[in-house]
Amino acid sequence: MYYRRTLTDEQINRELLGTVFSTPLWWVLLVSVLGLVVLGAASAVGFMVDQGLQVTGLNRPVFWGFFITNFVFWVGISHAGVMISAILRLSQAEWRRPMTRAAEVMTVFALMTAAMMPLVHLGRLWRFYWFTPYDFARGIWPDVRSPLVWDPMAITTYLTGSVLFVYTALIPDLAVIRDRSTGWRKVVYGILSLNWHGNPRQWKLQAIAGILLSALILPVFVSVHSIVSWDFGVSLVPSWHVTVFAPYFVIGAVHSGVSAVVTLMAIMKKLYKLDNYIWEEHFDAVGRLLVVVATAWLFFFWLDLIFAFWLAEEQELTVWRLRLFHAPWSWLFLTFIVFSYVIPVPLWLSRRVRRNLTMMIITTLMVNVGMWLERFIIVVPSLMQKGPLTFDYASYRPSIVEITIVGGTFALVAFLILMFSKFFPLIPLWEAKEGQRLGDAIKVGAISVPGIVKEE
Amino acid sequence: MRISDPKDMWAEGPSEKEIVQDVLSRYHHISSRFLAWCGVLGILFLLGVVVVLIRIFNGFEDRSEWGYYSATLLFIALTFMSTPIISAGLRLAKGQWRRPMTRVPELYGVVGMLGLLMLFPAIAALPPIEGRQTIWFEWPTFAPMGWDAVGMLALVLTGLTMLWMLAIPDLAKVRDHFPPSGRQKFITWLAMGWVGSVRQWRIHRLGVLTLGGMYLLLFPLVATLLGSELSAGLLPGYKDAIQPAYLIIVGVQAGLALTLVTMYVLRSAGGYERYLGVDQFWALSKPLLALSLLWFYFWWSTFITFWYGRQPSEVNIIRFLMFESYRLPFLMTFFLNFIMPLLALMWNPIRKSLAGPALVSVGILIGTLFNTIRLVVSAYSVPDPTLHLLTEVPKGQFPGVIDLLIVVGGISGAVLLFLLASKIIPPFSLWEMGEGTRLVRVRRFMNRTVRVISKQN
Repeated sequence: MYYRRTLTDEQINRELLGTVFSTPLWWVLLVSVLGLVVLGAASAVGFMVDQGLQVTGLNRPVFWGFFITNFVFWVGISHAGVMISAILRLSQAEWRRPMTRAAEVMTVFALMTAAMMPLVHLGRLWRFYWFTPYDFARGIWPDVRSPLVWDPMAITTYLTGSVLFVYTALIPDLAVIRDRSTGWRKVVYGILSLNWHGNPRQWKLQAIAGILLSALILPVFVSVHSIVSWDFGVSLVPSWHVTVFAPYFVIGAVHSGVSAVVTLMAIMKKLYKLDNYIWEEHFDAVGRLLVVVATAWLFFFWLDLIFAFWLAEEQELTVWRLRLFHAPWSWLFLTFIVFSYVIPVPLWLSRRVRRNLTMMIITTLMVNVGMWLERFIIVVPSLMQKGPLTFDYASYRPSIVEITIVGGTFALVAFLILMFSKFFPLIPLWEAKEGQRLGDAIKVGAISVPGIVKEE
Repeated sequence: MRISDPKDMWAEGPSEKEIVQDVLSRYHHISSRFLAWCGVLGILFLLGVVVVLIRIFNGFEDRSEWGYYSATLLFIALTFMSTPIISAGLRLAKGQWRRPMTRVPELYGVVGMLGLLMLFPAIAALPPIEGRQTIWFEWPTFAPMGWDAVGMLALVLTGLTMLWMLAIPDLAKVRDHFPPSGRQKFITWLAMGWVGSVRQWRIHRLGVLTLGGMYLLLFPLVATLLGSELSAGLLPGYKDAIQPAYLIIVGVQAGLALTLVTMYVLRSAGGYERYLGVDQFWALSKPLLALSLLWFYFWWSTFITFWYGRQPSEVNIIRFLMFESYRLPFLMTFFLNFIMPLLALMWNPIRKSLAGPALVSVGILIGTLFNTIRLVVSAYSVPDPTLHLLTEVPKGQFPGVIDLLIVVGGISGAVLLFLLASKIIPPFSLWEMGEGTRLVRVRRFMNRTVRVISKQN
């Protein structure tokens, strides 16, 4: 329970709508730089489309490389929104309030970026419609038993759900912006706020929608990364055909997603001066959650590793030998495990580290470097080996085009979040106000312990 | 939360003194009904022990004879020994509603002693680890018996220490409450001179946190060991990396169900309805629903991988464990552990009732027993576990009278241990309930009566 700051509604409106009604110089500079990087990545995509996939490092048999790794990574990051928002909302965790919006927005943009990656990976972007059952007469009917077809369905459903989730929670704030705007902005926000006036019926509907969407989106959240894992798991490629992949991928996604939210919150706190809303206690709480999530993830990783040796099948062992003992994979593997668990988790056990903004930024960034490498190590070495259906074996080195495009995706997500913050508040105004109203204290002996009025 | 239940203990606000008086008087009284139950369970347990002893003297050559025994062991290990996890988890989550019910799952920690004893014959019946798939790989020193015993012993000791440490403040209350007797002497010894000083509370808090964390780490380890020894290691070609995690889910689901059933019995037969209200049943039925969904998810992850892989070993394993030899236990567990909880607990009125979650929990416990039978009896009935894959699907093994006596005896022994322990350690965590009375206030808020709840950092 936290010792909350006492804030007035007016102060909350003023502070949280700062960037919506004014444009700081740092914002312009940052958006420009990120925009340039995104433009560079878009040019690289254009170049690749023109020249073909020969400009990438992909080859036979390593057909999946940087793009698919990045796809899995961004789908993973997108799990933060639901994890933070839906689960914490359903469990009525008080510390969720300042981080729900940022997490949800990150979900949407990460998922959009993830969805772009298979299209880029196609090389011939215009043939994406082969994924969709579009023309019965021509007999082009994708195999619905293929997880490659489930992927677009799952991602589209999750994206739709996440957008609705963000939008439903945004409506009361849109009305606040509408009431403070003039001209065309008033019209646009007026339309978006759906005539919200904050009467009891509207609040009730909004609360019901939030709970329903939270409950409905949870299975979708689990299914998305499970389906991504089955892209690998239902194949017979050594080290991919593993039953544990679905929960292993999901918990790994939560690990990297929640870490990304912490990074984002810390940066937001600095850039947007949100000291009244994002406190050390929030990092403390999410740090504890991360210890649990990371340890659960390590357990699944351990299962994946130990069962690789279970039947002592030569092909499986060969892949793991490559990952564990042959450079550069062994170095990447070591970096991955050290960055994802060995360094951050023991540090998070310390309350002082959990409450230190810089340390939290460093450790959570490390987690995501590690988790990106994890996906890379899962994808590439398994394909490099000569299996029963592979007649060649080769290595893989990403080209500058792939590196540019993948780097561009990080800039794109940051760019989109910044753009979002220009038009909408990154911390829900109504959640902050609700937190103020529900806050209370109980006198126990000589001290006053912070308490909360429990909602029904 | 609006106060809807007039019997809600936090709303009515009994003082800490009232709670202590009421709970301790019930705890101290040993009724004839209690003795009768102990007698019945004791006889069933003894029958089971006799039958097991006869089997031990007959030897371990025929492994299939030990299938139901080992299934009972796995059932006890998963269902009864997972319960301290629930207590530790709820304490970490700091829910106010947990306070009257954390002791029940902790008390089941004593059943670990029975699990530890049952482990030795089950492992003795296993074939040598050479030439077959095993979690010990090429490190057979002291494996499997030595390391399994160490793992199990560590879990049991942690569970017992956790129970004892958490109960010390309450044991001190018992010590101070009743006149001296033989039972009191033992309790006084267990209370370790507790006077509730700041230093003692600090050590207590640290100990509880450490032991809870240790139990959370040890239980997955033991579930992995037992799953691989009693099931996966005996099924040729069976490579199911998710099985340990699946067993943890099975265990926690069953442990939660056991807690709910026990709470229901304590409420209706023990007269504790003032403390165990709808709040507790409602709150616990939500994770029970989530665990039922996870049960399906983990099972599905195995099934879809095998079904798509279509390798001969995978096809035969599916046929053996799910669709042919053990179809009936599989269908029973699928219905009782997934379909029924889903269909019932998805409705808030059922979740927010006493009988609904309790009935679903009974089903889950039966389903879990069928599940462990499916996984273990099948494995013990495979003639040659050193094969690379299951070349043909063996027939299912139905239980005989002796097998049934073993299963009933084992479960009776577990329940008996709980009953006996509940007369040494109070079945309610008095210090937590007392703490709860200090951290909750009923106030007016916007024309409504609400609860203000505080949580300690």
